[in-house]
Amino acid sequence: MAATKAQGRAFTLFMVGLTGATAGIALFSSGIGKMALAVGLIAFAISFVSFLKMKPLEGRVALGAQPAVMKLIGLASALLGWVVVLIGLHLSASVSGRMVTTLLGFAISLVGVLVILPIASNKNAIWKA
Amino acid sequence: MRIARITSIICALAIALTVGAGIVARADAPSASATELKDASSKAPATTTLAAGDPGGSLTGTISDVPVGDAKTGLTLGDVANQVGQNKVGINFTWTLLCGFLVMFMQAGFAMVESGLCRVKNANHTYMMNFFVYGCGLFAYWIVGFAIQMGGAAGNGNLGGLQPLIGEHMWNLFGTNWGIFGQSGMFLAGHTYDVGVMVIFLFQMVFMDTALTIVTGACAERWKFLTFSVSSVLMGAFTYPLFANWAWGGGWLAQLGVNAGLGKGYADFAGSGVVHSVGGVTALAVALIIGPRIGKFNRDGSANAIIGHDISAVLIGCFILAFGWFGFNPGSTLGASAAGCLRIGSVAVNTMLAGCTGTFGALLYMWSLKGKPDASMSANGLLAGLVAITAPSGFVNPISSAIIGLIAGVLVCLSVSFVENTLKVDDPVGAISVHGACGLWGVLSVGLFADGTSNYGGAWNGVSGSVTGLFYGDASQLVAQLVGISTLVGFVFGFSYALNWVLDIFIGHRVSAETEVAGLDLPEMGQLGYPEFVFAQESEVMTAAPRVVLA
Repeated sequence: MAATKAQGRAFTLFMVGLTGATAGIALFSSGIGKMALAVGLIAFAISFVSFLKMKPLEGRVALGAQPAVMKLIGLASALLGWVVVLIGLHLSASVSGRMVTTLLGFAISLVGVLVILPIASNKNAIWKA
Repeated sequence: MRIARITSIICALAIALTVGAGIVARADAPSASATELKDASSKAPATTTLAAGDPGGSLTGTISDVPVGDAKTGLTLGDVANQVGQNKVGINFTWTLLCGFLVMFMQAGFAMVESGLCRVKNANHTYMMNFFVYGCGLFAYWIVGFAIQMGGAAGNGNLGGLQPLIGEHMWNLFGTNWGIFGQSGMFLAGHTYDVGVMVIFLFQMVFMDTALTIVTGACAERWKFLTFSVSSVLMGAFTYPLFANWAWGGGWLAQLGVNAGLGKGYADFAGSGVVHSVGGVTALAVALIIGPRIGKFNRDGSANAIIGHDISAVLIGCFILAFGWFGFNPGSTLGASAAGCLRIGSVAVNTMLAGCTGTFGALLYMWSLKGKPDASMSANGLLAGLVAITAPSGFVNPISSAIIGLIAGVLVCLSVSFVENTLKVDDPVGAISVHGACGLWGVLSVGLFADGTSNYGGAWNGVSGSVTGLFYGDASQLVAQLVGISTLVGFVFGFSYALNWVLDIFIGHRVSAETEVAGLDLPEMGQLGYPEFVFAQESEVMTAAPRVVLA
């Protein structure tokens, strides 16, 4: 299955939900704002339920399963590196000290982005079969 | 106590005398100039003279054209001063809007480049992604993205102050306030219904859309249109605006100079980081999730070249992009009539030079090492040079620009090979390398090559002085740039990956194997891009879906 009417309706609902929710946040101090936020969030949630229901109907994809744990580790490594950079700014006041902590954090992020996640992505790659 | 009282009385007297002198001076000035103004008015060409025509242009545009505030008193010095102020802002509005229009036209260039590098069976789908990403991004940015990015960016004198944009949300960490996101300007309603705000909205919006369209290239030929649409809306609403706020909206990266003493804070003149790297790292995140196209890799891991269908579209698209870049970089002064804005000439020349040397870098690399001056890589070399110079264009000299572009031209070739052969990530157009790798290089190059001669009002990001890189004596600027790079690779990539992973769970990024083999034009769009073409038969490896999929 490719693009369908159901997809079009679900996307419309998604847009309505997002617009309603943001309008609700913009006008949150008023009663109508709170109502718009609630309606928007409900429409948003329904759109995602619709997406989920449609997914199995769309046929098999040429993609092997990517191990979730390894993906989580890669993602955590990317974010951890950034946190190290932020903490490093407060650990040292010198330019050289901050340079070292920044490069260390950057290296940790790179391990996640360029090593762990590509391995996870290609672990069960279809082209290996 | 008595001494304090006497001191305060003396101070009050001094202030009163100063203010009084000012008032007298101001009262004197109009009377002294009133005669001159009246004299100039009397010498202005009469209506009858103007009615005869002004072929030389020497009679049009005189004191008669300055609007008078009060008809009874006639033209005053105040009227003239107001007109001068309005002229300055008017010039800057015009400049910024025209540059924004040029950047908007880059969408056409991106569409041609990406579609040209894809197979003919996916042409309509790729063009449509580039077309619809404009709507997705614009709408999302209007309802919430702009507020997150620029909702606390008041204070730009070039555009009249932008005072309605006061609302940066701050977090107090380690005793210092850091800007996290803006809060004014959702739907451009209320007090943000303002002439200056409209100008900055248009200009920033087209930048945001450039970032979004980068992702469509890396995921072309297998991205489900529904998931692309949802992902693009969320990127325009949240991912891009958040980082853009940190860099350009008064957020914590811009405050690294004021709060942490790192140079002039994170400096990114026109968006190598904010626009191109955000697009590039997001492209990598989605490409990792979506996986390679059928037939891209062989069982032994070696890659097959999947040739695009129209190299003429690619090269013409590149020229459109290079043309649009003259809006991107020189337009980022946000004015042509204010402190430092006359640097627009050098910004434009820097842009030109880096694109030129980028082309040379890629073309000579491919010709020397692979034997042919490869057209698609030469095109990517031009774009790589332009991407890399985007951040430093306002801070460096022409020689540095040429070096930055040349390095980017070689870097893009190395990066394309690394992404394909080492990471085993399929990027049909090289977007990850052009925008991601070369965007990060551009951000880094500010910290190396900024020569300290730029002067945009005497300060940058609230720190006095000019942006100066390591080669000109300021190592701390390099650290600020590295913090920005780490944020792009750590936070922006992580955020994009998590967001698109969730979308993959709920919607699924990839079209079915059957659709992919048939080409996305008919199943996804309902129409072939070129219905009267006779398609050439593809090789077995490209059409036979792997056994495991269809088993």
